[in-house]
Amino acid sequence: MKDAPRLSGLTACRPSEPPTGGRAGRFGAAVRGGRSRVQAVLRAGAFPGVLLGALEWYTRTVGANSDALAPPSAAALALGRAMLDGSLWQATAFTLGSAALGLLVGGVFGVLLGIVFGLSERAAGMGFLSVELLRPVPSVALIPLVMLVFGFGLRMELSVVAFATFWPMLVLSQAAARQVEPQLLEVATALGLRPVDRIVKIVVPAMVPRLFVALRLGVAIALVVAVTVEIAANPNGMGYAMMIAQQSLDPALMLAWLFWISVMGYAINAGASRLQVHVARRMGALQ
Amino acid sequence: MSLLRFDGVAIQLGGREILSPTSFEVGKGEFVCVIGPSGCGKTTLLRAAAGFMVPSAGAVLRGGKPVTGPSREVAFVFQDYGRALLPWRTVEGNISLALEAAAVPANERPGRIAKVLDTVGLGAHAQKFPVQLSGGMQQRVQIARCLAQEPELMMMDEPFGALDAMTRENLQDEVSRLVRDSGLTVLFVTHDLEEAIYLGDRVIALRTNPTAANPSLAAMINVPITRPREQLATKEHPDFLRLRRELYQFLGH
Repeated sequence: MKDAPRLSGLTACRPSEPPTGGRAGRFGAAVRGGRSRVQAVLRAGAFPGVLLGALEWYTRTVGANSDALAPPSAAALALGRAMLDGSLWQATAFTLGSAALGLLVGGVFGVLLGIVFGLSERAAGMGFLSVELLRPVPSVALIPLVMLVFGFGLRMELSVVAFATFWPMLVLSQAAARQVEPQLLEVATALGLRPVDRIVKIVVPAMVPRLFVALRLGVAIALVVAVTVEIAANPNGMGYAMMIAQQSLDPALMLAWLFWISVMGYAINAGASRLQVHVARRMGALQ
Repeated sequence: MSLLRFDGVAIQLGGREILSPTSFEVGKGEFVCVIGPSGCGKTTLLRAAAGFMVPSAGAVLRGGKPVTGPSREVAFVFQDYGRALLPWRTVEGNISLALEAAAVPANERPGRIAKVLDTVGLGAHAQKFPVQLSGGMQQRVQIARCLAQEPELMMMDEPFGALDAMTRENLQDEVSRLVRDSGLTVLFVTHDLEEAIYLGDRVIALRTNPTAANPSLAAMINVPITRPREQLATKEHPDFLRLRRELYQFLGH
């Protein structure tokens, strides 16, 4: 929750500048707050800016004939073209869609089984060996098998993502279910809550903070695996588009995709983080 | 008529006898306090009475029938209110849980919630989360949730043990009042002698490490002090002082 502090929060902590307006009054504080926010953005952007500039200079002088690198400006233009012709949106929708569906499938099954394992020692004992045997299988090693079953396309990709996300979701939600406050379960018993309500109204809400840890991990894995499947096999989505750009010796477009994929990764993480804060507030954890 | 009857109840945990065979009765509408040093099995006794655990020997009877498990007729107030309330539900939501468990129709819930919140003086805090309330108020929420259950028997496990002295005295008086108003039967565990005498119609004293010669049940005394009781006057009452001295000696100080 606290890994993405607002920039204004960062500057407010500087000892030289008290967070309140002081003698300058409200208006002064607002102006200074605005200015320090701009300063903070500039400060954070300085290093990437220098890097981009250096890359631009290098690719236009020393490495002008490189097949691997292209000037950032050319990559930006390629990105703009991909936006305009619609290929960017179509590939993005495919990758994010199959990652999301795969995560949904892997997450739902993982959390359900995790709850069973977490609440029942016996079930955990029965499942332990199977889990430990299957979990280390690298998810991308399933691509040949899944391709035989589903062929190319959405189902193949989402099933690899589902497999990859199922295990961390299972393990983390099992731990979360085991750590539900025992007193709350006794309260449920004392109140005579039915078994279903016990899970829906006590166990699952009590697991939510830890489930968010699982979700944050899950979205990262889902995106990585989806793009990997597209690079390795599936002729769809952002990973495939990047491969095509590479194979047609268009490094500008390839770098544009690379940049865009990282933007997507950042956006998804930021979205999950905001969702987490929102849910925490709704559940009374943040006031 | 006895509502709850312990019939030679003995409890062993991990091979150690926590409670040697103990028999007593709790009458309907009676307020019985159980007192004893740490490890004397008073909480264990309460849990057996609530059906959370099965005695190793003997039987707990409620309304003449053996207790085999928890029942909605029996409410349980846990000592640690911080872990007994759902932190993700508001005060209202926490009380609603008892009504949901009892399958009370949704349209009847708000009225009943408002009623019990009024009883414990939390009417203005229905929308707050537990974390926004003081310890005393959180414990009131738990008591309100138990009242919403409309039980015939209320078990209270050192409910005021974690509260400061002022809050504790206020809550003692409130619980006294609402128990008298509602005609509830209460089994109340505490390690505070004065609290036991102040609240109880009867006090049961338990001792640790029971033997055949010295069974768990060390003493059972009636508190003849009339109600309503009052913090200053009651605690200066000659009977109060006499009982305090007696129990003090029973507990082997």
